[in-house]
Amino acid sequence: MSGHRVRAITRRLLQGFRRDRRTLALLFVAPIVILGLLGYLMRGSSSVPAVGIANEDSGPASAVVADVLRHSSHIKTSDIDASEGDAKLRDGSLVAYVVFPQDFTQKVAAGTVSPEVHLEGSQPGEDSPVIQALQQAMTSLASQVAGRNVSFQPQINYLYGGSSYDTLDYFGAAFVGLVVFFLVFVITIVSFLNERSQGTLERLMASPLRRGEIVLGYMLGFTVLALVQAAEVLVFALAILKIQNHGNVLLIFGMEALMAIAAVNLGIFLSMFARSEFQAVQFIPLVVVPQMLLSGIIFPVSSEPTALQYLSNVLPLTYAVNGMRDIMVKGADLTWSALQLDAAVVAGFCVLLIVAGTATLRRRLG
Amino acid sequence: MHDSYAVNVDDVSKSFGAIKALNGVTLRVRQGEIYGLLGPNGAGKTTLIRLICGLLEAHPGTVTVLGQRMPNVAVLRHIGYMTQQAALYPGLSVEENVAFFASINGAEDGVKEALELVQLYDRRASVVATLSGGMRQRCSLACALVHRPELLLLDEPTVGIDPQLRVQFWEYFRRMAAAGTTLIVSSHVMDEADRCQRLGLIQYGRLLAEGSPADIRVQGGSQNLEEAFLALAGRRES
Repeated sequence: MSGHRVRAITRRLLQGFRRDRRTLALLFVAPIVILGLLGYLMRGSSSVPAVGIANEDSGPASAVVADVLRHSSHIKTSDIDASEGDAKLRDGSLVAYVVFPQDFTQKVAAGTVSPEVHLEGSQPGEDSPVIQALQQAMTSLASQVAGRNVSFQPQINYLYGGSSYDTLDYFGAAFVGLVVFFLVFVITIVSFLNERSQGTLERLMASPLRRGEIVLGYMLGFTVLALVQAAEVLVFALAILKIQNHGNVLLIFGMEALMAIAAVNLGIFLSMFARSEFQAVQFIPLVVVPQMLLSGIIFPVSSEPTALQYLSNVLPLTYAVNGMRDIMVKGADLTWSALQLDAAVVAGFCVLLIVAGTATLRRRLG
Repeated sequence: MHDSYAVNVDDVSKSFGAIKALNGVTLRVRQGEIYGLLGPNGAGKTTLIRLICGLLEAHPGTVTVLGQRMPNVAVLRHIGYMTQQAALYPGLSVEENVAFFASINGAEDGVKEALELVQLYDRRASVVATLSGGMRQRCSLACALVHRPELLLLDEPTVGIDPQLRVQFWEYFRRMAAAGTTLIVSSHVMDEADRCQRLGLIQYGRLLAEGSPADIRVQGGSQNLEEAFLALAGRRES
C-alpha cells in the first residue's frame, strides 16, 4: 500500500469535482433545500382537521358536547346542517361532521351517548384527531352527569375507505402511479442521453426524421414498456398487496399511462440539459424528492403552509396523485369534475413537455 | 433540375461563440466525384460537413445541396452521413442497426445489399457491442449508405482502422462513385488524398487550395502532397 498512490487517486477525484460545479451544487445545496422543505412542511403545516357540527337536538347534553368540540385544539369546527354534510365531505371543506340526533339528550339520560360521526375517510391520519376530540367531549359530558354510567357508542360512517382502510391503501393509491412515473423518467433520461453521447442522435437529425417524430417515437416506445410495467404494478398492488380499489381498473391504467407519458417527455426534456449520464442521474433527486414532498403523497396539500401550496398546485404530480386517489379510494369516474381536472392537467403537462422537448432538440444540435 | 454541382458552398462562415470555425469558404463538388476534404484536426472539416447536411446553418453564406438551399429536410433522404464516431446502437445486432437506418429513410429493401457491400452479411446477427472497432466502422458505413443516397458524407471514415480495411473502404467508395454517388470524404491522412478526384485543403477554417491532386502538387510546388500542403499552409500564414 503506497500512501502516495492513494493520495494521487484522492487528489484526482477532488480535481474533477472542482470543475463540475453542478455536482458540487447538488452535494451542498440539495441537502439544505430538501431538509429545509421538509422542516417547513412539518413545522409549518396546519393539520387541524375541519369538522362540522350538526346539532338537531335541543337538549342540554348535545350543547355541552358541541361546546367542548368547539373549544378543542385538535379540530376546527363549524356549524352545519346535517343534510349538507356529505356534500362538504366530498368537496373537501370538511374531513368529518358529527350529528347529534333529536333524541340525543334523551338517550344520554338513558345511559347511551350515540352521536353520528361521518368521516371523509380517505386520509387515515385525519380521523384520529376527530375521534380524540369527540372522546374528550364525552369525558366532559360524563363528568357532568356524574353518578350515571354512560356508555359511549358513536355510530361511525365512512364516506370513503372504511374501517378496514389503512395507511397502505392511502399511500398505495399514490404509489401505484409514482413507481411508474419515476422509473420511466430514469430510464428515458438515461437512454435519451445515450442517444446523444453515442452519436446516433446526430445521425437521426441528419436523416429525413423530423424532431417531432423522434420525440413521438421515443414516447410511444417507452410508453409501451411503461404500460407493461404499469399493468404489473397494478396486478401486484391489487392482487398481492390487496390495496383497496373502488374505481375502474381501466381508469387507473389510463392515469398511469398519462403519468408514464409525462415521465417520458420530462426525461427527454431534461436530458437536453445533461452532458453525461452522471449529470443525468443528478436530476433524479432534484425531480423526485421535492415532488415526493410537495405533491400530497405524504402530507396533504391542504395542510401545507400557504406558500408551499402555490408550489404544489403547479406540480403535475399533485394532480396525478390526486387523480389516482380519487379513482382508487373514492371510486371516481370521468363524470367527476375533480378527476376531469386532474387528467386534463396531467395531459396538458404532457403536451407542454412534448413541445419543450421537441424545441430543445434543435437548440442543442444547432 | 440540379445544376452540375451536387454541393455548392458559397462564402460560408460559421462561428461558435468567439471561435471562428469556418471563414469565407467557397467550394463546389461535382456529381459522381470523390471529393477529399483535407486538413489537420480542428481545421473545420466536421463543421463543414455538418453545414452540408443541414445540422448547422451558415452565417453568413449559403450551402446548396442537390439544388436545394440547406437546411432542408426534403434533401436529407438523398444524403448519407457517416459520423466520425461509429454512431450505432450497441444493444442491437448489425442487421437491426442497418434496418433501422433503412426504415427511417424509407429504404427497407436496401439492407442486404448494404451488408454485402461492407462484407458484414455473415455477421449480421452479431450484437454491435461485441464487434471489433473495424467492424463497427463498416456497420456504420452500411447505415450511411443503406438508402442509396445521391450524396454520401463521410467524416474521417478511416480513422482508427487497419490499412487492409482502409484499402477496402476506398474500394467501396470508388465503386459507389462509379455508380453515380457523390462522395465527400474528410481525412487528415495525406496518403488518402491521392484516391480522391478533387481535394479541398482546409486550415484554420479557410480553404487554402482546391483542385485535383495533380493541381495541388503544382500549386504547392512539390511532388509530395504532404509537402505541397505544408507549403500552401505556410504561404497563407506568411
